[in-house]
Amino acid sequence: MKPVAFNRTLRQLVALPILLLLILGSFLVWQIQVTATAQRELDHSDQITARLQELQNLFIDQETGLRGFQLTGDPVMLAPWKAAAGPIQSEFAELQQMLAGDPAQMANLAALNNRYNQWLGFADAVLHQDAAALNAEGMNQRGKAMMDAIRANVGTMQKHETNLREEQYRHARWLQRRELLSLLISFLIVGIVLVFFTRHHIHAISASYLRRIAEITRRSEELHESQQWFQTTLESIGDAVISCDLEGSVTFMNAVAEGLTGWKLGDARGKSLETVFRIIHEETRQAAENPVAKVRRLRKVIGLANHTVLIARDGRESVIDDSAAPIMSDTGDMVGVVLVFRDVTEERQMQSALVASEKLAVAGRLAASIAHEIHNPLDSVANLHYLLDQETDPEKRAEYLRLAQQELGRTMQISRTMLSLYREPKAPIEVLLRELVDGVLLLLDRRLQHQGVRVETEIADDLSVEGFPAELRQVLTNLIVNAMDASGTKGRIRIRVQRAEAGELRGVGALIEIADSGPGIPPETASRLFQPFFTTKGSNGTGLGLWVSMGIVQKHGGSIQIGESDDPNLPGASIRVFLPARTFAGAQPLSA
Amino acid sequence: MPTILCIDDEALGLQIRKAVLERAGYKVLTAIDGPAGLAAFRNEPVDGVVLDYYMPEMDGGAVAETMRRERPDIPIMLLSAYINLPTEVVELVDVTLLKGEGPLELLEKLRVMLRAASSPAAGRLS
Repeated sequence: MKPVAFNRTLRQLVALPILLLLILGSFLVWQIQVTATAQRELDHSDQITARLQELQNLFIDQETGLRGFQLTGDPVMLAPWKAAAGPIQSEFAELQQMLAGDPAQMANLAALNNRYNQWLGFADAVLHQDAAALNAEGMNQRGKAMMDAIRANVGTMQKHETNLREEQYRHARWLQRRELLSLLISFLIVGIVLVFFTRHHIHAISASYLRRIAEITRRSEELHESQQWFQTTLESIGDAVISCDLEGSVTFMNAVAEGLTGWKLGDARGKSLETVFRIIHEETRQAAENPVAKVRRLRKVIGLANHTVLIARDGRESVIDDSAAPIMSDTGDMVGVVLVFRDVTEERQMQSALVASEKLAVAGRLAASIAHEIHNPLDSVANLHYLLDQETDPEKRAEYLRLAQQELGRTMQISRTMLSLYREPKAPIEVLLRELVDGVLLLLDRRLQHQGVRVETEIADDLSVEGFPAELRQVLTNLIVNAMDASGTKGRIRIRVQRAEAGELRGVGALIEIADSGPGIPPETASRLFQPFFTTKGSNGTGLGLWVSMGIVQKHGGSIQIGESDDPNLPGASIRVFLPARTFAGAQPLSA
Repeated sequence: MPTILCIDDEALGLQIRKAVLERAGYKVLTAIDGPAGLAAFRNEPVDGVVLDYYMPEMDGGAVAETMRRERPDIPIMLLSAYINLPTEVVELVDVTLLKGEGPLELLEKLRVMLRAASSPAAGRLS
């Protein structure tokens, strides 16, 4: 049941009984009024009866007074007669008013009044006669008959009123019973209505309540299960996970995190993150920025800087790769920070091994070309030695010796050149790009000639960058050999080196563009070229060249992009290498 | 004595090799690249070829292939500073020699190659 329906039902449950009680109350008031009316009628009848009785008594007083005067002739005896005369008139007036709604009694009253007036006429005659005549037989008889008639008349009226009262009384009793009965019935009806109506609603509310309870129970179980599930997932995840509150106190860590930090969750909980998660920069050994502070500041997911080293509780160190993310509540408030990290020490070693392996492959290729360069003069020297051995003519011997000297000199020059090219300084030095490119082309000259590849160079003079010459030479060799392989026999390569002005994302530097006349690089290949072990050369390539080149260029603070050249005669790939004039590369070479 | 055609882009090495072969008694013709060598091969009486593999424009493999097509009976020795020569090129020639193996080896291999070529039943050496 929805809250709105629930409230409506509750309102109905309260309103209906009140309404029914109001109706019942009105009915009761009406009943009481009816009963009260009946009661008033009864009282009215009683009053009439009482007045009639009073009138009767007054008649008796007058009669008694008259009789006393009659017997004694003494006017004193007439005192009751005189006293009753006024009240009788007022009683008549009262009765006249009270009996207004009853025509029969009105007629009776009129008759009574008439008879009384007749009797008064008789009494008047008695009062004005002499004493002897007062006790005359006939006179007395007449007075008595008149008074009897009056009494009979009053009796009739009283009887009438009594009957009326009787009737009214029965009516009142009936009304009372009716009232009782109708009250009972009303109560019964109200009760039944309430029961029927509220039973339905109470059932609905109770069902809704039970459902709500069941739902809350189920949700709480689900919540518990989901909590368990998350707990298990976080525990079994391969990466280390640490969560903290906004103050940076550790609230949770999984088993992998326990292993890497050397802290048990029980010990770490409530401790500050800096204590549990001690990170420094791999090379500078300076403390790295607390990720919680950084996430709180930036309110977004951050990756830690490369070369982050985690120092465990026991001093053990591991190179880690990690990220930190804010934990947001439903309302969008940040409530904590979660760190996810993993040990990349082995991965780092593996990468170093790969870089070293590519370096070896490069060295191997270099050795082959050195061997070739040196074998030619060495072969000549061996031949000259044979000729010297056979020759006796001093002039020819001298000529052979001179030639042998020349060839040995050539050999030494080649080896010296190679050595000078491959001597690596400890810190980045100023590298003149024209020299760099020329040196690489010199080394590749034989191969280029062999393949008949024409190389055009457009190199800005005295343009230099800061860097490690041997590494940059490795990059250039790699890119030019790729261009040679792509352009095939009698192909064309254009090497353009120009100054690059400062852009939005980079500073001043040099842009080296190597374009070839090969078939170009399909987009699906382009995206994978810089991945390790990806090669288009089958068993002739290690798949590491571009990957290592990318590493070297990035180390120098530069970038490599693959595109197309603007020259229609060079439809193949165009590789652009940007190298900044000032590098941030550290003193250590890329590989181990 | 047999006439040997020597082809190599290294002019000095070529002259010294010529002297070695002449001292051993061969008549020696020289060419400084593939096309010049093929011209001599077609126009001069040649009994054997000593061919350098690594030459600009047209390498030893291509030269040997043309020679084989034109006159398959002439034996060819391939010289190289590389150990890993393409297999199809190695199969194409009679014998290979690594530069630096020395003049004695050169003369011995050449002698054996020419003798094998002059007696067809003996077949090729490898």
